[in-house]
Amino acid sequence: MSFDLFLGCVIPARLPFLEASSRKVFEKLGIKLNDVEGFSCCPDPTGIELIDHKTWLALGARNLSLSNNNGGIISFCSGCVETLKGVNYFINKDNKVKDEVNRILNNIGRNYNGKTEVKHFAQVLYENLDRVRENVVHPLNGFKVAVHYGCHYLRPSEIINWDDPFDPITIDEVVRALGADSIDYELKMECCGNPLDKSDKDISLKMIDNKLQSIQDSGANCITLVCPACFQQFDFNQRELSKGKENGYNFPIFYLSELVALAFGFKPEELGLKFHRVRPGSLLEGF
Amino acid sequence: MSVINFEFRNEILKHNVSLSYCYQCSTCSGGCPVALITQGKYNPRKIIEEAILGLQNKLVEKQDPNSWLCSTCQTCVELCPQKVEITEILTLIKNKCFETGNVPEAFIAQGRAVLENGVAIPYSKAILTRREQLGLPIIKTAPIEEISKILNVTNFANHIPKEGT
Repeated sequence: MSFDLFLGCVIPARLPFLEASSRKVFEKLGIKLNDVEGFSCCPDPTGIELIDHKTWLALGARNLSLSNNNGGIISFCSGCVETLKGVNYFINKDNKVKDEVNRILNNIGRNYNGKTEVKHFAQVLYENLDRVRENVVHPLNGFKVAVHYGCHYLRPSEIINWDDPFDPITIDEVVRALGADSIDYELKMECCGNPLDKSDKDISLKMIDNKLQSIQDSGANCITLVCPACFQQFDFNQRELSKGKENGYNFPIFYLSELVALAFGFKPEELGLKFHRVRPGSLLEGF
Repeated sequence: MSVINFEFRNEILKHNVSLSYCYQCSTCSGGCPVALITQGKYNPRKIIEEAILGLQNKLVEKQDPNSWLCSTCQTCVELCPQKVEITEILTLIKNKCFETGNVPEAFIAQGRAVLENGVAIPYSKAILTRREQLGLPIIKTAPIEEISKILNVTNFANHIPKEGT
């Protein structure tokens, strides 16, 4: 099994430790990820798409046209997955869109047929859950994990076409396969608010504050997620939001790949967990 | 005063006919996390209503309600009993805002980064060092001349003002 790896922007250029754990996990699983030259920004479905849909389609289609792998593309980022799946959706839904996009791509001597498949890394983990289980050497006992799915991993379901948009199970199942508990909480399906950082910081912070409060009330001792935008929102804002609170937030944020890597026996140092703002601390004793 | 702009309305309808399916039930606003936090100041139902009525000046110039406050969580789209493609319609409205310069600066900054580098976040020296420490490969991103060409053909480049202007 192999995929072309689409890294995007945020993970490789800001949070490379998330890339490190993800690469290690897939290598251990025997799933080959090919590095492809020449990808651009996906582009951002919460940025470029909102200001120029046509540009978003054209750059997305250019990226998709670079993959020649039968297994298609894998990405560690929910935003990239939404964009690349979304571009496929719009191109395959309407021939006029496909023709227009290809007219643009012809200017750089490219063409896209609309056939490159795209998968989120968490989907691939779920689809290979038995292999994940077989590789667990250090079960995550004592990890009470609040799973944050994030919007773009699930919705719009017509485009993502994976898991239930309001009652998902896939990430919880991966977490349980590692020997950890998944803790339910009231605002599990709420948006983290990260995209609003660009237009209204106060609302953005209110959304993550509500979410963290709900997780605190649930008794969870850490959080897992699968999107670098969500990661930044959860990891970067806890200290600020804790000011003036009797019980501040102190939740380690593990990317799903980091939890899997820890359960596979990788050491916190090789995963770069020290680069997180909220240090995992006592949860990692014995790792 | 609100002025009806029929051309604007027809353009949205032509782009996305699902606008006409809306019967204003407000399920979208009921499920919207931003409507909850802003106590209805941000309100997707109202945005759709204004689009049906063709109130371009309210949506694009006055931004009342402000379409940029959509968190793109896509909850409204999933809940809509009439399958109105709300975020697609919002995208068209925001694209119009961008064309006329009514856009938060952070979006322009991201657009400029892609225009200049092909990626939204260029690799800094510190990150390249950190990547090396983590044993990660050097990434060869898109040739900038290819990206520039596309962004000129789509007219995107023309809407990104030079820095500091």
